[in-house]
Amino acid sequence: MWSGNIKSAISSLRLNKWRTLLTILGVTIGVASVVTVVSLGEGLKKQVVGQINQLGSDVITVRSGRLTSEGVGQDSLNVLALLSTSTLTDSDAEVISKLPSVETVVPINFVTNTASSGQNRLDNIFVIGTNSDVADLLNQKVAYGSFFDERQDNGNYAVIGPRVAAQLLQKLNPVGHTIRINGVDFVVSGVLERSSGGLLSVAQTDFNSAVFISLAQAKQLTSGRTNILQILAKSKDPNIEQTVADIESTLQKNHAGQTDFSVLQQYELLNIANKVVDSMTAFISGLGAISLLVGGIGIMSIMLVSVSERSREIGIRKAIGATNRQVLNQFLLEGMALSISGGIIGIILSLVVNGLLRVYTNLEPVINLRVLVVAAAVSVAVGIVFGVAPALKAARKNPIDALRNG
Amino acid sequence: MSLINLREVSKLYGFGGATVLALDEVDLVVEKGEFLACMGPSGSGKSTLMNLIGLLDRPTHGTYLLDGRDVARLRSNTQAKIRRDRVGFVFQYYNLLPRMNVLDNVALPLAYKGMTPVRRQKRASDILELVGMRDREYFMPRQLSGGQAQRAAIARALINRPSIIIADEPTGNLDSNDSKVVMELLADVHRRGNTILLVTHNPELTRYANRVIYMHDGQIIGDEPTAIGRLAKGVRRTYYRRRRTTEEDTVAGVSALLKKVPGKELAGGSRARRSPARKRRVGRRSKKVRA
Repeated sequence: MWSGNIKSAISSLRLNKWRTLLTILGVTIGVASVVTVVSLGEGLKKQVVGQINQLGSDVITVRSGRLTSEGVGQDSLNVLALLSTSTLTDSDAEVISKLPSVETVVPINFVTNTASSGQNRLDNIFVIGTNSDVADLLNQKVAYGSFFDERQDNGNYAVIGPRVAAQLLQKLNPVGHTIRINGVDFVVSGVLERSSGGLLSVAQTDFNSAVFISLAQAKQLTSGRTNILQILAKSKDPNIEQTVADIESTLQKNHAGQTDFSVLQQYELLNIANKVVDSMTAFISGLGAISLLVGGIGIMSIMLVSVSERSREIGIRKAIGATNRQVLNQFLLEGMALSISGGIIGIILSLVVNGLLRVYTNLEPVINLRVLVVAAAVSVAVGIVFGVAPALKAARKNPIDALRNG
Repeated sequence: MSLINLREVSKLYGFGGATVLALDEVDLVVEKGEFLACMGPSGSGKSTLMNLIGLLDRPTHGTYLLDGRDVARLRSNTQAKIRRDRVGFVFQYYNLLPRMNVLDNVALPLAYKGMTPVRRQKRASDILELVGMRDREYFMPRQLSGGQAQRAAIARALINRPSIIIADEPTGNLDSNDSKVVMELLADVHRRGNTILLVTHNPELTRYANRVIYMHDGQIIGDEPTAIGRLAKGVRRTYYRRRRTTEEDTVAGVSALLKKVPGKELAGGSRARRSPARKRRVGRRSKKVRA
């Protein structure tokens, strides 16, 4: 019986190819967007974890604003802190560097996002003022040339990421060439190795498209105004908790008793990054879920049309002995065939999109089996939920009325 | 115990002022093995009666005993199973499912019974052999002529070896040749011991029946046993001696057609009570027309 039902479901769907295609579009888009977004989120998380492992667990990050606010019962993410301008200053970095328990301090000072060389111009990079300890602290290796050292700290030297090198200079070895930032020429002293850093990396920087210049130069470029995104510090003391407490109390003193900053260890940073990604994923998946809902309603309306159109068929089937349940099953299966095929196409589409994202962007979405299983299950559920009403309508038809009206 | 037993069965359609009385307290007993032809003008309730007997519809009033069981008490599920196993329908418009080939159409009742595809196709194939349609198993219904489609429909009706075959104007859409083939098939089925209920407009087909009932306005107004091969007497009266309308009648319009309601002379038995009154009424009107 089931095989017959499946056969007849597929044949009736093939009869109205365009209608079928348009009907399943809603489910397709819903499934594709949810799967893509969730896998993007998973990919981001994985990148963040990778970067934190790369940095080592003894790096302490100081960020502006209180990132977690104490809600009722549990911590929640303080979104405002991510949006506000930095409250960190040069003097904060100085104070921290004087602490006995701190080995190195690296301020990350965001300067601008454009640089040019000759005719080429890039406007989606991060120009960051920092000191020569940054490479060491971030475990970043230099592929060509060298990082500017202490002697050159105040010179016009820049270390650039591989993407910047490739797009701006387009030469095999860019060391020694100049790039122009805010009207000032900088000599490229080194090119970083390609890193796996993603968009939402720890330093909020993709090292591949970063330009590092010295802090003093950065200050000159921005006429003394600094915008320190974060301060990275390495603990001398193996007891990191103690160092964190030291930094916290020192900074509090420096900020006139206010705690408008967060001192975070790597795992805390990881948690925050995960929270950001999770809430974004949930939000966009919610939009996808609305599309699924709309798709389900589309399936329901088309199935209702189909039930009225095929009144005569229902009458014939009942006349030759189909029970209500058998008619119900037939139409339910048809609704499910619609939503399941929508789901399958959606999954395939999301795989294609993921592939394209991997090729054309530096995002690395991760599709895990769980997401696919859930997507498939949801599309089956949509078919059942929105197929039941039309199927019931078909099953409850009075056979003689169905025959007469057909 | 009779196979079919209807007691004062009525069927109403519609509500309020638009109510139509399709069956008016019909009593009918059909024994196993009968070939019953049901005749009457359009709208006389023939099809409604057949649909009730075939459990496609439920009576508004009255009781219907099938094999001594009151069908009104059966759940719709059980009714569906009775339709599947005990009743075979043959319709005027064949009612084959257009998207299935002949073999699948014929095998469909078996599918609802839960038989495996291989077994049911084998059985359908055998039945198609019986009706001479074996060579068209894989044709789609639209590729068949009317007679072939009706033979396929009969095969479908027969596949569950039902005890009752209900044929509602099975030859209504067929030419005389195809009609003959279809009727011979039904006669053959009857000879094997099946009960056949045939609705028809064609008096010639009463030759196949051994009992003819005449219906008018939802009532059975005549019921006569007849020998197979003979034209029923009542039919002879209505069919061969039907008065032609005169020129005057044409001028008089529709009312003239009412001056002789066919079959009224046949009225007898339980319904005789009402007939004389109607006869008088009709008589008066016809006199007036002539005058």
